[in-house]
Amino acid sequence: MLIKILGPGCAKCNRLEQLTREAAAELGINADFEHVTQIEHFMAYPIITTPALVVDEQVKCSGRIPNKSEIMGWLKV
Amino acid sequence: MHWLMTSFQGGLASLASYLAAHVLLCLVPAFFIAGGLSALVPQQSIIRYLGPDAPKWMSYPAAAGAGSLLAVCSCTIQPLFAGIYKKGAGLGPAITFLFFAPAANILALSYTGVALGADFAIARILLALSFGIGIGMIMAVLFRESDVARLADTQTFATGEGISGRTLLFLGTLVALLIAGTLKLDFLKAIVLSTSIPWSGASGVQQLLDGAVPVNEGTGAEGLSLQGALLIGLLAVIGATAWRGLGKVDEGFNRLTFVTLGLVVATLVFAAMGVQVTPGGISLAVTGRTVAVIVTSLALLPQARRFDAWDVQQWLWETWRFVKMIFPLLIVGVFLVGVIRVFIQPEWVQAIAGANTVLANLAGVVFGVFMYFPTLVEVPIAKMFLSLGMHPGPLIAYLMADPELSLQSILITSAIIGKLRAWTYVGLVALFSTLAGLTYGAWFDGTSALTLGIAVAGLILLLTAMLHLIETHRRT
Repeated sequence: MLIKILGPGCAKCNRLEQLTREAAAELGINADFEHVTQIEHFMAYPIITTPALVVDEQVKCSGRIPNKSEIMGWLKV
Repeated sequence: MHWLMTSFQGGLASLASYLAAHVLLCLVPAFFIAGGLSALVPQQSIIRYLGPDAPKWMSYPAAAGAGSLLAVCSCTIQPLFAGIYKKGAGLGPAITFLFFAPAANILALSYTGVALGADFAIARILLALSFGIGIGMIMAVLFRESDVARLADTQTFATGEGISGRTLLFLGTLVALLIAGTLKLDFLKAIVLSTSIPWSGASGVQQLLDGAVPVNEGTGAEGLSLQGALLIGLLAVIGATAWRGLGKVDEGFNRLTFVTLGLVVATLVFAAMGVQVTPGGISLAVTGRTVAVIVTSLALLPQARRFDAWDVQQWLWETWRFVKMIFPLLIVGVFLVGVIRVFIQPEWVQAIAGANTVLANLAGVVFGVFMYFPTLVEVPIAKMFLSLGMHPGPLIAYLMADPELSLQSILITSAIIGKLRAWTYVGLVALFSTLAGLTYGAWFDGTSALTLGIAVAGLILLLTAMLHLIETHRRT
Protein backbone atom coordinates (compact mmCIF):
# COMPACT_ATOMS: atom_id res chain seq x y z
CA MET A 1 0.00 0.00 0.00
CA LEU A 2 1.31 3.42 -0.93
CA ILE A 3 0.20 6.33 1.18
CA LYS A 4 0.92 9.88 0.06
CA ILE A 5 0.47 12.98 2.11
CA LEU A 6 0.28 16.15 0.04
CA GLY A 7 1.15 19.38 1.78
CA PRO A 8 3.85 22.02 1.74
CA GLY A 9 5.30 20.82 5.04
CA CYS A 10 3.24 22.83 7.47
CA ALA A 11 2.02 21.79 10.90
CA LYS A 12 -1.27 20.50 9.56
CA CYS A 13 0.32 18.21 7.00
CA ASN A 14 2.78 16.83 9.53
CA ARG A 15 -0.06 16.11 11.86
CA LEU A 16 -1.99 14.28 9.14
CA GLU A 17 1.08 12.17 8.41
CA GLN A 18 1.52 11.35 12.10
CA LEU A 19 -2.16 10.38 12.47
CA THR A 20 -2.03 8.21 9.36
CA ARG A 21 1.14 6.46 10.53
CA GLU A 22 -0.51 5.77 13.88
CA ALA A 23 -3.63 4.46 12.15
CA ALA A 24 -1.57 2.17 9.91
CA ALA A 25 0.43 0.89 12.87
CA GLU A 26 -2.70 0.16 14.86
CA LEU A 27 -4.16 -1.82 11.96
CA GLY A 28 -0.86 -3.59 11.44
CA ILE A 29 -0.72 -2.46 7.82
CA ASN A 30 2.67 -2.34 6.18
CA ALA A 31 2.53 0.77 4.05
CA ASP A 32 5.00 2.99 2.23
CA PHE A 33 4.73 6.64 3.15
CA GLU A 34 5.57 9.54 0.96
CA HIS A 35 5.23 13.18 2.00
CA VAL A 36 4.91 15.23 -1.18
CA THR A 37 5.88 18.85 -0.60
CA GLN A 38 6.29 20.09 -4.18
CA ILE A 39 3.27 22.11 -5.20
CA GLU A 40 3.73 21.15 -8.86
CA HIS A 41 3.17 17.52 -7.92
CA PHE A 42 -0.09 18.31 -6.12
CA MET A 43 -1.50 19.47 -9.39
CA ALA A 44 -1.57 15.92 -10.72
CA TYR A 45 -4.36 15.11 -8.26
CA PRO A 46 -7.89 16.50 -8.29
CA ILE A 47 -7.31 18.58 -5.18
CA ILE A 48 -6.85 22.24 -4.50
CA THR A 49 -6.64 22.36 -0.75
CA THR A 50 -4.08 20.83 1.55
CA PRO A 51 -3.34 18.72 3.51
CA ALA A 52 -4.55 15.86 1.35
CA LEU A 53 -4.39 12.12 1.90
CA VAL A 54 -3.87 9.84 -1.10
CA VAL A 55 -4.10 6.08 -0.66
CA ASP A 56 -2.94 4.02 -3.65
CA GLU A 57 -3.32 7.07 -5.92
CA GLN A 58 -6.88 7.70 -4.75
CA VAL A 59 -7.62 10.98 -2.99
CA LYS A 60 -9.36 10.24 0.29
CA CYS A 61 -9.67 13.72 1.69
CA SER A 62 -8.30 17.21 1.27
CA GLY A 63 -8.34 20.51 3.09
CA ARG A 64 -8.94 19.12 6.55
CA ILE A 65 -7.57 16.73 9.12
CA PRO A 66 -9.78 13.64 9.43
CA ASN A 67 -9.94 11.78 12.71
CA LYS A 68 -8.15 8.52 13.21
CA SER A 69 -11.12 6.21 12.88
CA GLU A 70 -11.96 7.82 9.55
CA ILE A 71 -8.42 7.18 8.34
CA MET A 72 -8.56 3.58 9.56
CA GLY A 73 -11.71 3.09 7.50
CA TRP A 74 -9.86 4.15 4.36
CA LEU A 75 -6.84 2.01 5.06
CA LYS A 76 -8.79 -1.18 5.80
CA VAL A 77 -10.31 -1.58 2.36
CA MET B 1 25.12 53.77 29.10
CA HIS B 2 22.23 56.18 29.27
CA TRP B 3 21.04 55.57 25.72
CA LEU B 4 21.16 51.83 26.28
CA MET B 5 18.89 52.25 29.28
CA THR B 6 16.53 54.56 27.38
CA SER B 7 16.23 52.24 24.43
CA PHE B 8 15.69 49.21 26.64
CA GLN B 9 13.00 51.09 28.51
CA GLY B 10 11.48 52.10 25.19
CA GLY B 11 11.23 48.46 24.18
CA LEU B 12 9.75 47.50 27.52
CA ALA B 13 7.21 50.29 27.41
CA SER B 14 6.10 49.33 23.94
CA LEU B 15 5.79 45.68 25.00
CA ALA B 16 3.92 46.47 28.20
CA SER B 17 1.36 48.72 26.59
CA TYR B 18 1.02 46.25 23.75
CA LEU B 19 0.39 43.23 25.97
CA ALA B 20 -1.88 45.00 28.39
CA ALA B 21 -3.87 47.15 26.03
CA HIS B 22 -3.99 45.61 22.61
CA VAL B 23 -3.66 41.91 22.93
CA LEU B 24 -6.39 40.86 25.16
CA LEU B 25 -9.72 42.00 23.98
CA CYS B 26 -8.68 42.04 20.36
CA LEU B 27 -6.09 39.41 19.61
CA VAL B 28 -7.26 36.69 21.99
CA PRO B 29 -10.73 36.41 20.42
CA ALA B 30 -9.17 36.95 16.97
CA PHE B 31 -6.90 33.95 17.45
CA PHE B 32 -9.90 31.81 18.44
CA ILE B 33 -11.75 33.02 15.33
CA ALA B 34 -8.75 32.25 13.14
CA GLY B 35 -8.60 28.76 14.63
CA GLY B 36 -12.32 28.32 14.03
CA LEU B 37 -12.08 29.43 10.41
CA SER B 38 -9.23 27.04 9.84
CA ALA B 39 -10.76 24.04 11.60
CA LEU B 40 -14.52 24.37 11.17
CA VAL B 41 -15.09 25.99 7.78
CA PRO B 42 -14.82 23.42 4.99
CA GLN B 43 -12.53 24.93 2.37
CA GLN B 44 -14.68 23.45 -0.35
CA SER B 45 -17.53 25.76 0.66
CA ILE B 46 -15.76 28.67 -0.99
CA ILE B 47 -13.56 26.79 -3.45
CA ARG B 48 -16.60 25.60 -5.37
CA TYR B 49 -17.17 29.14 -6.60
CA LEU B 50 -13.67 29.27 -8.05
CA GLY B 51 -13.93 26.64 -10.77
CA PRO B 52 -12.86 27.21 -14.39
CA ASP B 53 -16.45 27.80 -15.48
CA ALA B 54 -17.33 30.28 -12.76
CA PRO B 55 -18.45 33.64 -14.15
CA LYS B 56 -16.20 36.51 -13.14
CA TRP B 57 -18.75 38.32 -10.97
CA MET B 58 -18.73 35.19 -8.87
CA SER B 59 -15.08 34.19 -9.03
CA TYR B 60 -13.52 37.53 -8.10
CA PRO B 61 -15.60 38.10 -4.96
CA ALA B 62 -15.19 34.41 -4.07
CA ALA B 63 -11.42 34.78 -4.44
CA ALA B 64 -11.52 37.71 -2.06
CA GLY B 65 -13.69 35.69 0.34
CA ALA B 66 -11.24 32.81 0.21
CA GLY B 67 -8.48 35.30 0.96
CA SER B 68 -10.09 36.52 4.14
CA LEU B 69 -11.67 33.30 5.39
CA LEU B 70 -9.36 30.46 4.40
CA ALA B 71 -5.92 31.92 4.20
CA VAL B 72 -5.03 32.74 7.77
CA CYS B 73 -1.81 30.83 7.40
CA SER B 74 0.75 30.93 4.65
CA CYS B 75 0.72 27.18 4.13
CA THR B 76 -2.82 27.41 2.76
CA ILE B 77 -2.02 30.42 0.60
CA GLN B 78 0.51 28.80 -1.75
CA PRO B 79 -1.36 25.62 -2.73
CA LEU B 80 -4.63 27.52 -3.04
CA PHE B 81 -3.01 30.15 -5.20
CA ALA B 82 -1.46 27.52 -7.46
CA GLY B 83 -4.74 25.59 -7.57
CA ILE B 84 -6.90 28.56 -8.53
CA TYR B 85 -4.39 29.60 -11.16
CA LYS B 86 -3.71 26.25 -12.77
CA LYS B 87 -6.99 24.43 -12.41
CA GLY B 88 -9.68 26.88 -11.53
CA ALA B 89 -10.83 30.36 -12.32
CA GLY B 90 -7.44 31.46 -13.64
CA LEU B 91 -4.83 34.14 -13.15
CA GLY B 92 -7.12 37.06 -12.29
CA PRO B 93 -8.97 35.54 -9.33
CA ALA B 94 -5.75 33.86 -8.16
CA ILE B 95 -4.07 37.26 -7.99
CA THR B 96 -7.06 38.80 -6.21
CA PHE B 97 -6.82 36.01 -3.67
CA LEU B 98 -3.08 36.52 -3.20
CA PHE B 99 -3.42 40.26 -2.77
CA PHE B 100 -6.40 40.28 -0.47
CA ALA B 101 -5.35 37.51 1.92
CA PRO B 102 -2.72 39.29 4.05
CA ALA B 103 -4.72 42.50 4.38
CA ALA B 104 -8.08 41.04 5.21
CA ASN B 105 -7.59 38.10 7.51
CA ILE B 106 -9.24 38.42 10.87
CA LEU B 107 -6.01 38.82 12.83
CA ALA B 108 -4.59 41.63 10.71
CA LEU B 109 -7.91 43.40 10.54
CA SER B 110 -8.78 43.39 14.22
CA TYR B 111 -5.25 44.27 15.25
CA THR B 112 -5.15 47.20 12.83
CA GLY B 113 -8.49 48.39 14.17
CA VAL B 114 -7.40 48.34 17.80
CA ALA B 115 -3.85 49.63 17.41
CA LEU B 116 -4.39 52.28 14.73
CA GLY B 117 -8.12 52.98 14.83
CA ALA B 118 -11.23 51.68 13.13
CA ASP B 119 -10.90 54.02 10.12
CA PHE B 120 -7.53 52.49 9.26
CA ALA B 121 -8.99 48.98 9.43
CA ILE B 122 -11.96 49.95 7.26
CA ALA B 123 -9.72 51.74 4.77
CA ARG B 124 -7.37 48.77 4.68
CA ILE B 125 -10.10 46.27 3.86
CA LEU B 126 -12.04 48.46 1.38
CA LEU B 127 -8.96 49.58 -0.53
CA ALA B 128 -7.44 46.09 -0.53
CA LEU B 129 -10.72 44.65 -1.81
CA SER B 130 -11.21 47.11 -4.66
CA PHE B 131 -7.57 47.21 -5.70
CA GLY B 132 -7.14 43.46 -5.25
CA ILE B 133 -9.96 42.87 -7.71
CA GLY B 134 -8.54 45.63 -9.91
CA ILE B 135 -5.05 44.14 -10.03
CA GLY B 136 -6.48 40.67 -10.67
CA MET B 137 -8.46 41.96 -13.65
CA ILE B 138 -5.53 43.88 -15.10
CA MET B 139 -3.40 40.75 -14.89
CA ALA B 140 -6.16 38.75 -16.57
CA VAL B 141 -6.31 41.32 -19.37
CA LEU B 142 -2.53 41.59 -19.81
CA PHE B 143 -1.91 37.86 -19.96
CA ARG B 144 -5.15 36.83 -21.66
CA GLU B 145 -3.37 34.94 -24.45
CA SER B 146 -1.54 32.45 -22.26
CA ASP B 147 -4.42 32.07 -19.86
CA VAL B 148 -6.40 29.81 -22.20
CA ALA B 149 -4.10 26.83 -21.86
CA ARG B 150 -4.94 25.80 -18.35
CA LEU B 151 -5.65 22.37 -17.06
CA ALA B 152 -9.36 22.85 -16.77
CA ASP B 153 -10.43 20.58 -13.98
CA THR B 154 -14.09 21.08 -13.28
CA GLN B 155 -14.40 17.98 -11.16
CA THR B 156 -12.23 19.32 -8.34
CA PHE B 157 -14.57 22.22 -7.91
CA ALA B 158 -17.85 20.44 -8.49
CA THR B 159 -18.85 19.05 -5.15
CA GLY B 160 -18.64 20.42 -1.70
CA GLU B 161 -20.64 21.10 1.38
CA GLY B 162 -21.58 24.57 2.52
CA ILE B 163 -20.81 26.13 5.86
CA SER B 164 -23.24 24.70 8.38
CA GLY B 165 -25.58 26.97 10.26
CA ARG B 166 -24.15 26.11 13.64
CA THR B 167 -20.62 26.93 12.47
CA LEU B 168 -21.83 30.32 11.24
CA LEU B 169 -23.59 30.99 14.53
CA PHE B 170 -20.53 29.92 16.51
CA LEU B 171 -18.14 32.10 14.51
CA GLY B 172 -20.68 34.92 14.68
CA THR B 173 -20.70 34.71 18.48
CA LEU B 174 -16.91 34.82 18.52
CA VAL B 175 -16.98 37.89 16.29
CA ALA B 176 -19.53 39.46 18.65
CA LEU B 177 -17.12 38.80 21.52
CA LEU B 178 -14.34 40.49 19.56
CA ILE B 179 -16.53 43.48 18.76
CA ALA B 180 -17.87 43.76 22.31
CA GLY B 181 -14.31 43.83 23.59
CA THR B 182 -12.88 46.38 21.20
CA LEU B 183 -15.48 48.79 19.88
CA LYS B 184 -15.49 52.21 21.50
CA LEU B 185 -19.21 52.75 21.89
CA ASP B 186 -20.89 54.72 24.65
CA PHE B 187 -23.13 51.97 25.96
CA LEU B 188 -20.11 49.68 26.26
CA LYS B 189 -18.29 52.28 28.31
CA ALA B 190 -21.26 53.01 30.61
CA ILE B 191 -20.69 51.92 34.19
CA VAL B 192 -23.24 49.39 35.39
CA LEU B 193 -21.95 48.77 38.87
CA SER B 194 -18.93 49.92 40.78
CA THR B 195 -17.25 49.00 44.00
CA SER B 196 -13.98 49.74 45.69
CA ILE B 197 -11.48 47.55 47.42
CA PRO B 198 -9.53 49.22 50.23
CA TRP B 199 -5.83 48.53 49.78
CA SER B 200 -3.39 51.15 50.95
CA GLY B 201 -0.52 49.62 48.96
CA ALA B 202 -2.19 50.19 45.60
CA SER B 203 -0.79 53.62 44.86
CA GLY B 204 2.65 52.45 45.94
CA VAL B 205 2.54 49.60 43.43
CA GLN B 206 1.35 51.96 40.72
CA GLN B 207 4.26 54.29 41.48
CA LEU B 208 6.64 51.38 41.15
CA LEU B 209 5.14 50.49 37.76
CA ASP B 210 5.35 54.11 36.62
CA GLY B 211 9.01 54.10 37.56
CA ALA B 212 9.73 50.96 35.55
CA VAL B 213 7.65 51.90 32.53
CA PRO B 214 7.32 55.68 32.45
CA VAL B 215 4.38 57.38 30.79
CA ASN B 216 5.58 59.76 28.11
CA GLU B 217 2.90 61.46 26.10
CA GLY B 218 5.46 63.01 23.76
CA THR B 219 6.57 59.63 22.44
CA GLY B 220 3.19 57.97 22.83
CA ALA B 221 4.35 55.63 25.61
CA GLU B 222 1.23 54.65 27.48
CA GLY B 223 2.85 53.36 30.65
CA LEU B 224 1.63 50.34 32.56
CA SER B 225 -1.38 50.36 34.85
CA LEU B 226 -1.92 48.03 37.78
CA GLN B 227 -4.64 46.31 35.78
CA GLY B 228 -2.25 45.96 32.86
CA ALA B 229 0.40 44.35 35.06
CA LEU B 230 -2.14 41.86 36.43
CA LEU B 231 -3.33 41.06 32.91
CA ILE B 232 0.21 40.38 31.73
CA GLY B 233 0.61 38.01 34.66
CA LEU B 234 -2.63 36.24 33.73
CA LEU B 235 -1.47 35.95 30.12
CA ALA B 236 1.72 34.27 31.28
CA VAL B 237 -0.30 31.78 33.35
CA ILE B 238 -2.55 31.07 30.36
CA GLY B 239 0.51 30.49 28.21
CA ALA B 240 1.81 27.96 30.72
CA THR B 241 -1.45 26.03 31.01
CA ALA B 242 -2.21 26.21 27.29
CA TRP B 243 1.07 24.48 26.46
CA ARG B 244 -0.47 21.20 27.50
CA GLY B 245 -4.11 22.23 27.73
CA LEU B 246 -4.44 23.33 24.11
CA GLY B 247 -1.25 21.97 22.58
CA LYS B 248 -2.16 18.37 23.43
CA VAL B 249 -5.91 18.73 23.01
CA ASP B 250 -5.82 16.66 19.82
CA GLU B 251 -5.20 13.60 21.98
CA GLY B 252 -8.38 14.32 23.92
CA PHE B 253 -9.53 16.99 26.33
CA ASN B 254 -7.49 17.13 29.49
CA ARG B 255 -7.99 18.92 32.76
CA LEU B 256 -5.70 21.75 31.70
CA THR B 257 -7.84 22.38 28.63
CA PHE B 258 -10.71 23.48 30.82
CA VAL B 259 -8.39 25.38 33.17
CA THR B 260 -6.99 27.28 30.19
CA LEU B 261 -10.38 28.10 28.73
CA GLY B 262 -11.69 29.21 32.12
CA LEU B 263 -8.65 31.44 32.61
CA VAL B 264 -9.05 32.94 29.15
CA VAL B 265 -12.64 33.92 29.88
CA ALA B 266 -11.75 35.26 33.33
CA THR B 267 -8.92 37.32 31.84
CA LEU B 268 -11.15 38.74 29.12
CA VAL B 269 -13.76 39.69 31.69
CA PHE B 270 -11.16 41.31 33.94
CA ALA B 271 -9.69 43.19 30.97
CA ALA B 272 -13.14 44.53 30.16
CA MET B 273 -13.59 46.00 33.65
CA GLY B 274 -12.66 49.52 34.64
CA VAL B 275 -9.92 49.48 37.25
CA GLN B 276 -8.65 52.71 38.80
CA VAL B 277 -6.09 53.19 41.50
CA THR B 278 -7.38 55.67 44.09
CA PRO B 279 -5.51 57.01 47.13
CA GLY B 280 -7.43 54.64 49.42
CA GLY B 281 -7.30 51.54 47.28
CA ILE B 282 -8.72 50.28 44.00
CA SER B 283 -12.06 51.09 42.43
CA LEU B 284 -13.55 48.37 40.27
CA ALA B 285 -16.25 49.13 37.72
CA VAL B 286 -18.40 46.68 35.82
CA THR B 287 -19.11 48.35 32.48
CA GLY B 288 -21.41 47.55 29.61
CA ARG B 289 -18.37 45.99 27.98
CA THR B 290 -17.86 43.61 30.92
CA VAL B 291 -21.47 42.44 30.69
CA ALA B 292 -21.22 42.02 26.91
CA VAL B 293 -18.02 39.98 27.20
CA ILE B 294 -19.56 37.73 29.89
CA VAL B 295 -22.74 37.17 27.88
CA THR B 296 -20.98 36.34 24.61
CA SER B 297 -18.45 34.04 26.30
CA LEU B 298 -21.22 32.14 28.08
CA ALA B 299 -23.17 31.89 24.84
CA LEU B 300 -20.26 29.95 23.32
CA LEU B 301 -20.49 27.09 25.80
CA PRO B 302 -23.83 25.49 24.81
CA GLN B 303 -22.91 25.97 21.14
CA ALA B 304 -19.55 24.24 21.51
CA ARG B 305 -21.31 21.25 23.08
CA ARG B 306 -23.30 20.70 19.90
CA PHE B 307 -20.18 20.16 17.82
CA ASP B 308 -18.40 16.81 17.59
CA ALA B 309 -15.64 16.54 20.16
CA TRP B 310 -13.16 16.12 17.30
CA ASP B 311 -14.18 19.42 15.74
CA VAL B 312 -13.82 21.30 19.00
CA GLN B 313 -10.40 19.72 19.57
CA GLN B 314 -9.36 20.74 16.07
CA TRP B 315 -10.54 24.27 16.74
CA LEU B 316 -8.54 24.61 19.96
CA TRP B 317 -5.49 22.94 18.47
CA GLU B 318 -5.51 25.27 15.45
CA THR B 319 -5.98 28.30 17.71
CA TRP B 320 -2.97 27.36 19.79
CA ARG B 321 -0.97 26.62 16.65
CA PHE B 322 -1.63 30.14 15.39
CA VAL B 323 -0.65 31.60 18.74
CA LYS B 324 2.59 29.63 18.78
CA MET B 325 3.38 30.59 15.20
CA ILE B 326 2.60 34.30 15.36
CA PHE B 327 2.79 35.47 18.93
CA PRO B 328 6.51 35.02 19.79
CA LEU B 329 7.61 36.86 16.65
CA LEU B 330 5.09 39.56 17.37
CA ILE B 331 6.43 40.08 20.90
CA VAL B 332 10.01 40.33 19.66
CA GLY B 333 8.84 42.67 16.90
CA VAL B 334 6.95 44.94 19.28
CA PHE B 335 9.92 45.12 21.65
CA LEU B 336 12.32 46.02 18.83
CA VAL B 337 9.92 48.62 17.49
CA GLY B 338 9.97 50.26 20.92
CA VAL B 339 13.78 50.20 20.96
CA ILE B 340 14.11 51.64 17.46
CA ARG B 341 11.49 54.26 18.21
CA VAL B 342 13.94 55.94 20.60
CA PHE B 343 16.48 56.55 17.84
CA ILE B 344 14.26 57.84 15.05
CA GLN B 345 13.81 61.59 14.99
CA PRO B 346 10.26 62.71 14.17
CA GLU B 347 11.75 65.34 11.82
CA TRP B 348 13.12 62.62 9.51
CA VAL B 349 9.78 60.92 9.15
CA GLN B 350 7.94 64.18 8.73
CA ALA B 351 10.37 65.38 6.07
CA ILE B 352 9.89 62.24 3.98
CA ALA B 353 6.28 61.30 4.60
CA GLY B 354 4.67 64.11 6.55
CA ALA B 355 2.28 65.10 3.79
CA ASN B 356 0.12 63.22 1.31
CA THR B 357 2.28 63.57 -1.81
CA VAL B 358 3.04 61.02 -4.52
CA LEU B 359 6.64 60.92 -3.39
CA ALA B 360 5.70 60.32 0.24
CA ASN B 361 3.37 57.49 -0.77
CA LEU B 362 6.06 55.97 -2.95
CA ALA B 363 8.44 56.14 0.00
CA GLY B 364 5.91 54.20 2.07
CA VAL B 365 5.63 51.55 -0.65
CA VAL B 366 9.40 51.22 -1.15
CA PHE B 367 9.92 50.80 2.58
CA GLY B 368 7.21 48.15 2.59
CA VAL B 369 8.73 46.21 -0.31
CA PHE B 370 12.29 46.13 0.97
CA MET B 371 11.52 45.44 4.60
CA TYR B 372 10.29 42.05 5.57
CA PHE B 373 8.43 41.73 8.84
CA PRO B 374 6.69 38.66 10.21
CA THR B 375 2.89 38.51 10.10
CA LEU B 376 1.20 41.34 12.03
CA VAL B 377 4.44 43.13 12.96
CA GLU B 378 3.62 45.63 10.22
CA VAL B 379 0.96 47.02 12.56
CA PRO B 380 3.17 48.15 15.49
CA ILE B 381 5.63 49.52 12.93
CA ALA B 382 2.83 51.53 11.35
CA LYS B 383 1.79 52.74 14.78
CA MET B 384 5.33 53.90 15.46
CA PHE B 385 5.40 55.86 12.21
CA LEU B 386 2.03 57.38 12.97
CA SER B 387 3.23 58.62 16.35
CA LEU B 388 6.35 60.00 14.67
CA GLY B 389 4.21 62.16 12.43
CA MET B 390 3.76 60.14 9.26
CA HIS B 391 0.73 61.18 7.24
CA PRO B 392 -2.05 58.52 7.25
CA GLY B 393 -1.98 58.37 3.42
CA PRO B 394 1.59 57.11 3.06
CA LEU B 395 0.95 54.92 6.09
CA ILE B 396 -1.82 53.08 4.26
CA ALA B 397 0.45 52.82 1.22
CA TYR B 398 3.03 51.15 3.46
CA LEU B 399 0.42 48.88 5.11
CA MET B 400 -0.76 47.70 1.71
CA ALA B 401 2.68 47.06 0.27
CA ASP B 402 4.46 45.49 3.23
CA PRO B 403 2.55 42.23 3.74
CA GLU B 404 1.86 41.82 0.02
CA LEU B 405 5.40 42.01 -1.18
CA SER B 406 8.55 40.55 0.21
CA LEU B 407 11.43 38.91 -1.55
CA GLN B 408 10.20 35.53 -0.35
CA SER B 409 6.66 35.96 -1.63
CA ILE B 410 7.93 37.27 -4.98
CA LEU B 411 10.10 34.16 -5.42
CA ILE B 412 7.25 31.78 -4.58
CA THR B 413 4.88 33.60 -6.87
CA SER B 414 7.31 33.58 -9.77
CA ALA B 415 7.87 29.84 -9.34
CA ILE B 416 4.15 29.28 -9.86
CA ILE B 417 3.16 31.86 -12.48
CA GLY B 418 6.50 32.68 -14.10
CA LYS B 419 8.90 35.60 -13.79
CA LEU B 420 7.25 37.99 -16.22
CA ARG B 421 3.84 37.69 -14.58
CA ALA B 422 5.30 37.87 -11.08
CA TRP B 423 7.22 41.09 -11.75
CA THR B 424 4.25 42.64 -13.50
CA TYR B 425 2.27 41.82 -10.36
CA VAL B 426 4.93 43.46 -8.19
CA GLY B 427 4.81 46.59 -10.33
CA LEU B 428 1.03 46.72 -10.15
CA VAL B 429 1.01 46.26 -6.38
CA ALA B 430 3.49 49.13 -6.01
CA LEU B 431 1.37 51.33 -8.28
CA PHE B 432 -1.92 50.49 -6.62
CA SER B 433 -0.54 50.76 -3.08
CA THR B 434 0.58 54.28 -3.94
CA LEU B 435 -2.90 54.98 -5.31
CA ALA B 436 -4.47 53.56 -2.17
CA GLY B 437 -2.30 55.77 -0.01
CA LEU B 438 -3.18 58.85 -2.06
CA THR B 439 -6.87 57.99 -1.83
CA TYR B 440 -6.88 57.53 1.93
CA GLY B 441 -4.65 60.56 2.41
CA ALA B 442 -7.04 62.66 0.34
CA TRP B 443 -9.94 61.48 2.50
CA PHE B 444 -7.99 62.34 5.63
CA ASP B 445 -7.23 65.80 4.24
CA GLY B 446 -10.91 66.48 3.66
CA THR B 447 -11.93 65.16 0.23
CA SER B 448 -15.39 63.65 0.54
CA ALA B 449 -15.60 59.87 0.79
CA LEU B 450 -18.31 59.86 -1.89
CA THR B 451 -16.09 61.46 -4.54
CA LEU B 452 -13.25 59.06 -3.78
CA GLY B 453 -15.62 56.10 -3.68
CA ILE B 454 -17.00 57.02 -7.10
CA ALA B 455 -13.48 57.39 -8.49
CA VAL B 456 -12.36 53.97 -7.18
CA ALA B 457 -15.61 52.26 -8.23
CA GLY B 458 -15.32 53.90 -11.67
CA LEU B 459 -11.82 52.51 -12.10
CA ILE B 460 -12.92 48.99 -11.20
CA LEU B 461 -16.00 49.20 -13.47
CA LEU B 462 -13.81 50.33 -16.34
CA LEU B 463 -11.53 47.32 -15.83
CA THR B 464 -14.51 44.95 -15.60
CA ALA B 465 -15.90 46.32 -18.85
CA MET B 466 -12.53 45.88 -20.56
CA LEU B 467 -12.20 42.31 -19.35
CA HIS B 468 -15.74 41.58 -20.46
CA LEU B 469 -15.14 43.01 -23.93
CA ILE B 470 -11.96 40.99 -24.36
CA GLU B 471 -13.66 37.80 -23.24
CA THR B 472 -16.60 38.23 -25.59
CA HIS B 473 -14.22 39.14 -28.38
CA ARG B 474 -12.21 36.01 -27.86
CA ARG B 475 -15.24 33.78 -27.90
CA THR B 476 -16.40 34.95 -31.33
